[in-house]
Amino acid sequence: MQTRYGVAMERGVMLAAKEINENGGILGKKIEVVVADSKLKPDVASTELRRLAFDENVDVIIGGFSSGVVIASMDTLAEVEKVWMVACASPTVTEKVKEDYDIYKYVFRVGSTNSSTFPADLVAMLDFLNEKGVKVKKVAVIRDEAKWVADIMDQLRQILEVNGYEVVMEEVVPPTQEDFSTALLEAQSKADVIMPLIAHGKAASLVKQWKDNEIKIPLAGLDLHAVNPDYWDATSGKCDLEIYLAPSASVPAEINEKMKAFIEAYKKEYGVLPEAYSAYGCYDAVYVYKEAVERAAKAGEKNPFDTEVLIKYLESINAENPYPGVRGNIAFTSHHDLVYGDKFIRNYICQWQNGKQVTLYPKATGELIIQ
Amino acid sequence: MWEVLIIGTVIGGIWALVASGFSLTFGVARIFNFAHGTYFAIAAYLAAALYPTLGYFSIFLAIFAAGIFGLVVNVLIKPIRDREIMVILLTLSVALSVEQILLIIFQDTSISIPPVINGVVEIAGVPVTYTRIIALIIALLCLAALEIFIGKTRLGREINATSQSSEAAMMVGIDVEKVYSSTMLISAILAGIGGVLYAQIYSVNPETAFRILIFAFAVVILGGLGSIKGSIIAAFLIGYVQTFVSIVLGSRWSEVAVIAVIIAILIVRPRGLFGVE
Repeated sequence: MQTRYGVAMERGVMLAAKEINENGGILGKKIEVVVADSKLKPDVASTELRRLAFDENVDVIIGGFSSGVVIASMDTLAEVEKVWMVACASPTVTEKVKEDYDIYKYVFRVGSTNSSTFPADLVAMLDFLNEKGVKVKKVAVIRDEAKWVADIMDQLRQILEVNGYEVVMEEVVPPTQEDFSTALLEAQSKADVIMPLIAHGKAASLVKQWKDNEIKIPLAGLDLHAVNPDYWDATSGKCDLEIYLAPSASVPAEINEKMKAFIEAYKKEYGVLPEAYSAYGCYDAVYVYKEAVERAAKAGEKNPFDTEVLIKYLESINAENPYPGVRGNIAFTSHHDLVYGDKFIRNYICQWQNGKQVTLYPKATGELIIQ
Repeated sequence: MWEVLIIGTVIGGIWALVASGFSLTFGVARIFNFAHGTYFAIAAYLAAALYPTLGYFSIFLAIFAAGIFGLVVNVLIKPIRDREIMVILLTLSVALSVEQILLIIFQDTSISIPPVINGVVEIAGVPVTYTRIIALIIALLCLAALEIFIGKTRLGREINATSQSSEAAMMVGIDVEKVYSSTMLISAILAGIGGVLYAQIYSVNPETAFRILIFAFAVVILGGLGSIKGSIIAAFLIGYVQTFVSIVLGSRWSEVAVIAVIIAILIVRPRGLFGVE
């Protein structure tokens, strides 16, 4: 709860619960929210899962943005037999559901797209730049020293080459890295574009030095900090014109009416824009839960709040019968991942423009500004 | 080669500001101040937080606040100054507490201060921002001022005398407590200046305080514990090593190289380049 992701998750859930309660609750019952903090530690997460299930007797669990913590807690979840709607991106989470459905069926990914979608979308980002007249062929990657990024990088390298791009530089930076000067100068001398793959590194520092050093090639990639609305202030406005991928469209841009209403409600309730991507997914998760329970009741289920019944009706929210969330249509695959695509939830190509986050693709709230 | 020299010199200047204060504290009071990196972080965070309302005046206020915090740490240390382990534990606790407080207030985000002057100039084909050049000039001026202060002023000479022998200093009538608090104040101000310069070039995170401490360790171990001159030379050497390794092997090896320097010096020449006995 000390991280922005934790704060955003809690606020997203609280806001959805408040709205639902003001409109009569779920089947007439008011939602009561119990907060648990994993402290990003698997052992604490397991203890908290047991507390939520056995002491608090909750009906559903929402949250969990750290893939490591979620994966390590999935066996405990099988013991407590409660549905957990998670916000993490690792493919392993839903692969486990696929491998052993009976044990891991309790997990549904709602909050984030599967990180295996990133490589293709990064290539799509370069294609998009080329279509808009920015000639891009040689790519310099500056990436975190983290396993999930290394996994993405393996796929990305192959898919870039297949699509005619060339990785001319790969700089791996530790989480404590703050000086990117030499990497940026090398990138400028070798490449047409700098592609950051950064979640844990000091992305703000990279962006600041990119602008301060007047690096002449664009910065376009997966900078997870760029999604945060306070990134403009964190970089003293140096993120201007940075192009970035917003996982699962979790960015404060009015891509549809529901998103517009959510952003306004969040600002009204908390005085700020959603602090992190996790707010969107957790807000959606509460409504997805409501939808599943109501579908169960409508189908005549005796106890629509029962875990097994809930799983059955969450699974009914599929590509044929999606639920329209704030980020797009939510639908689950047979192994409880989000269905991915333009008609469902997908990653968005965005750009920071004069203090505002603008979506460029697939739904554009503004036009690309070329550096 | 020019890249190593130019970029390494700038970062070396900032390390020199941080490490000279750390070394000064050890030289005078014989204490390892694990809270030294917090002066750096407090100044950087305060300047960034107050910048929207106070503009660049926030920088001066932040450096002043870092100095005051140095005096507070000195007051906390006073009752246990002779017990080295206790001092380490206390200053470590202070550093951890400050990191947690920064984490709670600012969360795990990086902050930065807008540069005073924007723009880039090419030196020997290497683009260098005006901010870096100004940072280096300020760092060098501060180090020169420190040298003059220690060598030419009465208080400076008292600090020098106390660093040689606190008992002898007391016997000749030097107010050693005043020397200790002055030393801590100067150390904190130097680290604070380092913090606000660093936050203009790079960015600062709650964890930065500990990272800075590791670099300060590397510098004072290489330069020799208690030797300000050694710390300044070592700071630039560490800056060059860091930059050279970043270019040749990649950024991820630069901190490993710095830690390798600490280990190598401790084994080969524990006194460092200019260490005091």
